Amino acid sequence: MSQPPSTPYGNESVEIAITGRGVVSSIAEGADAFVGALNERRSGVVDGVAPCSEFDPAHAMDAKSARRADRYTQLAFAAAAQATAEAGLPGDVDLERLAVLVGTGVGGLKTLEDECRKFVDGGERAVSPLFVTMMMPNAAAGTIAIDLGAHGPGFSVSSACATGSHAIGEAKRMLERGEADVVVAGGTEAAITPLCMAAFKRLGALSREGISRPFDARRDGFIMGEGAGVLVLERAEHARARGAEILGYVAGYGASNDAYHMTQPDEGGRGAEKAMRAAIDDAGASPQEIGYINAHGTSTPYNDRIETKAIHSVFNGGSPPVSSTKSAIGHLLGAAGAVEAVAVVGALQRGLLPPTLNFEEPDPDCDLDYIPDGPREAPGLELALSNSFGFGGQNACLVFKKAT
Amino acid sequence: MAIDKNEVLEEIRDQLEAIKVPGAREATAESTWTELDVDSLDLVELVKALEDRFEITIADDDLKPIESIGDTIELTDRLVSAKEEAPA
Repeated sequence: MSQPPSTPYGNESVEIAITGRGVVSSIAEGADAFVGALNERRSGVVDGVAPCSEFDPAHAMDAKSARRADRYTQLAFAAAAQATAEAGLPGDVDLERLAVLVGTGVGGLKTLEDECRKFVDGGERAVSPLFVTMMMPNAAAGTIAIDLGAHGPGFSVSSACATGSHAIGEAKRMLERGEADVVVAGGTEAAITPLCMAAFKRLGALSREGISRPFDARRDGFIMGEGAGVLVLERAEHARARGAEILGYVAGYGASNDAYHMTQPDEGGRGAEKAMRAAIDDAGASPQEIGYINAHGTSTPYNDRIETKAIHSVFNGGSPPVSSTKSAIGHLLGAAGAVEAVAVVGALQRGLLPPTLNFEEPDPDCDLDYIPDGPREAPGLELALSNSFGFGGQNACLVFKKAT
Repeated sequence: MAIDKNEVLEEIRDQLEAIKVPGAREATAESTWTELDVDSLDLVELVKALEDRFEITIADDDLKPIESIGDTIELTDRLVSAKEEAPA
């Protein structure tokens, strides 16, 4: 068994490298194809939702495993298969120290809806014995771990729309604490179901217009998307020792609570500001060094206005360009932060900032540079920030650094 | 009336196929759960299908010695016969 790192928790000398990426989204499957599609300004929105219409679980899973998995697990499994293949896992990685932290905002909703219907119509005997293991929010992490034979820590992280970023951030901490050598981390969601759509519609969170237009004056809510994003993380020295290519670094992680309201952000942007500052501090950087922000940018009236205000507070009038991946693929809830992490790594690798689609009419409350004409070349880009703010007031921000 | 054991075999094959067990169609009475990679979750679904089809109740204890399709056919036959012999 390999030794844990000699450096203690929080020591800045522990560099957390990204060695694998996986994405399933409405515009592309595969990390490079996804980043390319963002830069081609492709939109996955059809009839007011952004489903992964071409996704076939059979490409990654055998038929029996796929039948036993809710769609949210199937999406995660496919993204994890891409990420682990890119990272060369399991290879000679110590399976006792391989961890899986893959979260979801809501878990197996389709399964929950189907089984509730069967129970109401047919009673107890009509309920599938697979119900529990398909619905539970740690099923994706469990299924991935079983496939890899990963015996390190494994669980689901859940913080609504901040899940993916929390999972990656907590994976960073786990590696810093020396509890694992490699972590498969990310988020997944398959919430385009009748009940869930009704619920978000009743909440007034969905766009009535059916367009995701973050920061635009006419924005009226988010577009429900689905998909999964997974990264393979390990200490840089571990990656180098086993000859894995380093694709970028998770340099900083900051988390906070608004402790204000279940759906509305704190009016002053206090929680968002705190998480951004913490992530930048954790990276040992100053705001001036951040060259791009991948916003939470949901296209809701509240989020985009208050996120803009919080960015102003942190960057003190000197904000770098900002864009929202949700303009292209909608809001992936628990998968959003993880899929957006892949977008940010792609921006750092290519020196190319992805656009915000559908931004046409400026809002005086949203006065940053949202890259509406992107993609935009940024050859000197070294550090980028990614924001995720969840219902419940739970915020997670990540700073990514270009591979050197 | 004795049960048609081929009918039970077909029902088992159909159910194993429905739950995506590889090789379900070619399975025989000699096929074991180990060979077919059938686990406890598969058995729960198989048992329910047999109970519904043959109007029997299979207790957990009945399943303990069952290791193959042949064992399952014999168990089903025994439970159907017991039901038919029982006073109405």
